[in-house]
Amino acid sequence: MFAAEDTKSQDLLIQNLENILNKIKQNKTPFVNENFQHFLNTKNGYLVSSLVTEFLQFFDLGCTMAVFQPETGTLHGSDRGNLAHVLGIVENENTRVGPLLLEVMKRCQNFSSRGDGSSDSSLPVLHNLVTELPLLEAKISLSNKAILRYSRQLVLPELGVKGQLNLSKSSVLIVGCGGLGCPLAQYLAAAGIGRLGLLDYDVVEMNNLHRQVLHGENRQGIPKSLSAATTLKQLNSEVEYICYNMTLTSKIALELIQQYDIIADCSDNVPTRYLVNDACVLTGKPLVSASALRMEGQLTIYNYQGNPCYRCLFPVPPPAETVTNCADGGVLGVVPGIMGCLQALEVQKIASGIGTSFGQFILMFDALEGRFRNIRLRAKNQNCAVCGANPTIGVLQDYEAFCGSSASDKCRTVHLLSKEERISAQEYKKILDEKVPHLLVDVRPPVEVDICHLPDSIYIPLDKLEKKNLDCLNHLKRKLLEGRLKTGEEMSFPVYVICKLGNDSQKAVKILQDLSGKELGALLAKDIAGGLMAWSNKVDPTFPQY
Amino acid sequence: MSCEVLVLYFAKSAELADVRSERICVAQQTTSQQLWQEIVSRHPRLAALRDHVILAVCQEYVSIGDQLLLLQPGDEVAIIPPISGG
Ligand SMILES: [Zn+2]
Repeated sequence: MFAAEDTKSQDLLIQNLENILNKIKQNKTPFVNENFQHFLNTKNGYLVSSLVTEFLQFFDLGCTMAVFQPETGTLHGSDRGNLAHVLGIVENENTRVGPLLLEVMKRCQNFSSRGDGSSDSSLPVLHNLVTELPLLEAKISLSNKAILRYSRQLVLPELGVKGQLNLSKSSVLIVGCGGLGCPLAQYLAAAGIGRLGLLDYDVVEMNNLHRQVLHGENRQGIPKSLSAATTLKQLNSEVEYICYNMTLTSKIALELIQQYDIIADCSDNVPTRYLVNDACVLTGKPLVSASALRMEGQLTIYNYQGNPCYRCLFPVPPPAETVTNCADGGVLGVVPGIMGCLQALEVQKIASGIGTSFGQFILMFDALEGRFRNIRLRAKNQNCAVCGANPTIGVLQDYEAFCGSSASDKCRTVHLLSKEERISAQEYKKILDEKVPHLLVDVRPPVEVDICHLPDSIYIPLDKLEKKNLDCLNHLKRKLLEGRLKTGEEMSFPVYVICKLGNDSQKAVKILQDLSGKELGALLAKDIAGGLMAWSNKVDPTFPQY
Repeated sequence: MSCEVLVLYFAKSAELADVRSERICVAQQTTSQQLWQEIVSRHPRLAALRDHVILAVCQEYVSIGDQLLLLQPGDEVAIIPPISGG
């Protein structure tokens, strides 16, 4: 009897609920919030919504997800490993007990109450917009405090009181607070420059610390400009630090650059180098430019006292595929350190009035050989598109389109293969577990294989495969033969190609597809999307990331 | 008359040529274009860099074109592509 009554009241309840739901549906107007949609389309918006999704998933709040996911249009929350990686969070047993949001919060708290002796009543302010700065006041004399502080350089006849006063009324914009920007900012702050603008779009990551010496372990995930200013304030609190946590774009570059006396290019990508150059020419600012990669460095001062600009030397950008970034090519930390110090020297010479000797020279540093070379450059190019006699560039351009690459040093993702020609790291794990016969080919350079690799892979560096190196092809042929003997089948033998991130592996698959059926016999080549980093993120968290 | 010069390859050019420096024999009187051609014929992959390098002879910029060069034995020729890392 009770059971029958229960069913009856249940039916009634469901009926009522259905009525209510229908009413809600009738009244529901579409949810439109433009600010929200716009925010979601930004990198930060993506991170925030991912953090919220991960938070909800962590506590199994499936019911709220039903509302949140359709509104945000996101379904990416399940990928916690990837999100942690983007945020620079290295997971351990402490972090895994809570949602990632908690880890982010802990980091903020650690940062604002760092135990490094700072009272920090005046943490540097982070600018997300370019605002008009008040003019730097010229001092007529040095205070006793300043005399004591700068005494060791004041007694240099080349600098003297006049030079020191000149430094104190100069402002310098540093574009990029990385391997070059850190030592540059450090020496300029120490020397008593008046104002330092610190611009960077990125946050501190563990793999920055070997060269970006103003940051530290407790700064991971924090904007580089803010981290740099925080360290610099400890060194010299008399200097004014302005942090810009943003990408330098054509929209803001002129407004920003015209507020500074000297611009230092410490950026890590080609579009930004052209943008900074053009903006300096258009605003008439000297550009102290340095770069570093692997074990080489370059330094030039552009657009200074009638000397050439970057475009005079390099009118057209190099094809994007011929440009190597620090993540791919590597860089010995001290090399940008040395180049940044040289930049600091030249900035100080210009700011103090000593003058520079690099206007028409490029300094090349060969760290392997331990040699510096000064190459005399051409004079200004009269046909230069921006600084020549009849310039065609009067306003800033779209530099990412001009260079065919993005204004960051993040690795580009290439799309050479179709979905069917790729498998995910998880799918490959399944192939391993099920012991499906196959060959795994790792196409990274030997130096990267030494860092980490999967067992049972054979190593054929992409450049050797591209050159159809005979030893490598024979090695591959032998391994394929062994594999085919084991299976005893005539079918196309499965070959999986892996690299670090899943770009080179696609190129390798293309080459293998060309060779298939010919000298290598029939094979079915696919690559593992996302490479070993996806393996680490999605399959085996103990596998190292680099 | 030909003479032996030392060619130095920097950055991307060293990677593409697969060598950091080498001695090559070239005509003593030549144009910068011919000198560049001579180098590219040894390392065809360098062709992609033509408009994106500084060519220097004895630490002086020369534009790749019909500029006349009078080379001496042992002269240093440098191929310098810009690097952009930081
Ligand atoms: Zn120019």
